[in-house]
Amino acid sequence: MAQERLRLLLAGLAACVSLAAFPAGTDPKAPPTPQTPWYRLSPQDRQVLAPLAPDWDKLPGYQQKRLQSAARQYPKMQPIQQERFQKRIVDWAAMTPEQRKAARETFKGMQKLPPSKQDELRERWLEQKGAAAAEPARR
Amino acid sequence: MNEKNFGEKLRPWLQRSASEVGELQATRLKSARLRALDAWREPVRLLGVVTVNAGTAQTLKYSVLQQALLWLPIVILLATLAAKTLSPEADIGELDAQLLTGELPIDAFLDQDFGEWLKSASGSF
Repeated sequence: MAQERLRLLLAGLAACVSLAAFPAGTDPKAPPTPQTPWYRLSPQDRQVLAPLAPDWDKLPGYQQKRLQSAARQYPKMQPIQQERFQKRIVDWAAMTPEQRKAARETFKGMQKLPPSKQDELRERWLEQKGAAAAEPARR
Repeated sequence: MNEKNFGEKLRPWLQRSASEVGELQATRLKSARLRALDAWREPVRLLGVVTVNAGTAQTLKYSVLQQALLWLPIVILLATLAAKTLSPEADIGELDAQLLTGELPIDAFLDQDFGEWLKSASGSF
């Protein structure tokens, strides 16, 4: 009885480990995520994703799902963040998958830094871009 | 021999000996009887199918609870992992939301200079 229970316990743990080691989303042979037409979105999603309405149905299913998931964070955002989201989402959707992947990797890399380092990098980049933008104006 | 038959057979012997029981023993027997009556509970009907005595029902309930406590953490872990692996898009979506709402514009994360600074900052950290 105790042995059987131990066997079951081990089987459960093995299932956990295999799920963690081979997540379903990483299977290249997995069927593509189905598209969700614009009219089938919830009113909230449609409101948040409104800037993408004209191109929504052309987006691949996986990207639609990611955007929907991002849009679900919208109510929790600060007003300034909501503004940024609305402004940037069109450019974001227009980027190539490789560009988005690269941006995510850099973003994740930055998140791993301590907050002081993150601030330093942010300031440095904003300063440099500010100077570069002012350069042609001076000429 | 069932419990009732056993009781019937035992009764004359007990009655014969009852007169010989001293006061102290009689009091102890009385209190034991009262304790037994206190402990007795109505039999429980399980799922409307079988009737079992209260003690058995309690044991069953305990063993179910014990099993549940053993499996609950594993079930929760499995459910969490399954939810995570079945919806990788949700995780990426959350990351995208953070990226899109941060102080730095998207351009920064595609900028080569920024990438280089990040590499050197990560190296020095």
